[in-house]
Amino acid sequence: MRKLKYVTFFTESSPNPTLVGGKGLNLSKLGTIKATMPPGFIVNTNAYKKFIEKSSYHDQLIDLFSKNIKPEEVLNHSKELKSLIIKSTFPEDIKKEIKEVFDEKFNNSLKKEVSFAVRSSATIEDSKAFSFAGQAESFLNNNNLDEILISIKNCWSSLFSPQALLYLLQMKKKGINFSLLNISMAVIIQEMINSEVSGVLFSVNVLDNNTTQMLINSTWGLGETVTDNLVVPDMIILNKNEFKIIKYDIGKKEKRSIQNPDGSGTILIENDQHSKSACSLTDNQLHQLYNLGLKLENEFNYPQDIEWAIQNDVVYVLQTRPITTLKDKP
Amino acid sequence: MVFMKKIGEGLSCSIKKEVTGELVYIQEINDVINLFDKAAGKICIVDDAGTTTLSPILSELTGTISTTGSAGSHLAIVSREFEIPCIMGLSFEIEDISSLNGKKAKITTQEENKGILYLLE
Repeated sequence: MRKLKYVTFFTESSPNPTLVGGKGLNLSKLGTIKATMPPGFIVNTNAYKKFIEKSSYHDQLIDLFSKNIKPEEVLNHSKELKSLIIKSTFPEDIKKEIKEVFDEKFNNSLKKEVSFAVRSSATIEDSKAFSFAGQAESFLNNNNLDEILISIKNCWSSLFSPQALLYLLQMKKKGINFSLLNISMAVIIQEMINSEVSGVLFSVNVLDNNTTQMLINSTWGLGETVTDNLVVPDMIILNKNEFKIIKYDIGKKEKRSIQNPDGSGTILIENDQHSKSACSLTDNQLHQLYNLGLKLENEFNYPQDIEWAIQNDVVYVLQTRPITTLKDKP
Repeated sequence: MVFMKKIGEGLSCSIKKEVTGELVYIQEINDVINLFDKAAGKICIVDDAGTTTLSPILSELTGTISTTGSAGSHLAIVSREFEIPCIMGLSFEIEDISSLNGKKAKITTQEENKGILYLLE
């Protein structure tokens, strides 16, 4: 079997967290338990490190990584770092390996209308200690390898977004030091699920930490509208011991996110009146989500925060991570 | 004498502590930077995550309010991590949210995780 340096597959039985990042680690576990998830692979942190090391702007980047900045300098600092990363070119061996894996994995898919999601997996996010939730970005609906390569650089540069830099400054104030020199990022490449419905499933009711219930948020279209609070989604509370709907609150769901029909990325469109007031999940889909919640909590041996998407009535897991807010967190 | 006037209601998505603080309407990342060293005691209002995420200053805040979203939004998740009261999907009973800047307010939770925002006058 060919030895890969920059790419790790989800089926890797014991992936190194520093190589695949928090999200990559959780997706690898999902891969080994054969959860229904979009096919893909991880561009691991070896690629990020080599990219920085071989960048024509390496010395400038290291200077910026080492610099102590004040909050008011964050915007400029972020802009400089991002610009140097975007201007840097991929070392040929990284590009070659990603291309080979991409071609092998998606050769057949390319005959269909598919696109790809590129998601960040920083080495300090999605841990049990704190989730770094939403600090780094995802780039959806990439239509070919060239767009994917650009999105990988955009993912890496999101490590240095103003929000991420401010977040790290805040941690520093509390005595937790993450040097930019030590942070790195893996990137997840996955076939994009063009979901009719999507959302978040907590295998406990996080509103009051009730472990006898589950909580689901769901909405039409792609799930970023739920995680980025762009809509008020539906909220469903389920009984956990035996499937039963305890509560179904219909959210306003004014907008939905869909793949940009004219290129890469996503667009927001207004939902029609019926969609706004209708339940976004059928009983059958709720059953599937209920079973998924039980299964993943059991497999991971800890309550899970699961992002999911439904296409043609199939529930796909986009990511899972431990719920970081339970009282008994390890 | 302090009068309490209800100005909005949504879903209480974090710790059910009753808190009072000064309202700040966050509309761009510069608003977050300006609050960096003076976030303590503030209740921040946002419309959506976008570039205005409160995460960097969240641990210092007294409360968070979003006019959209629910328990699964990143803002709600991080608010729970820092045990800060958070109301998501809050419907305001006033037109001009900016007019609330600098005013004192109270967050409470009622039955069924109903999060209520009161103006203190």
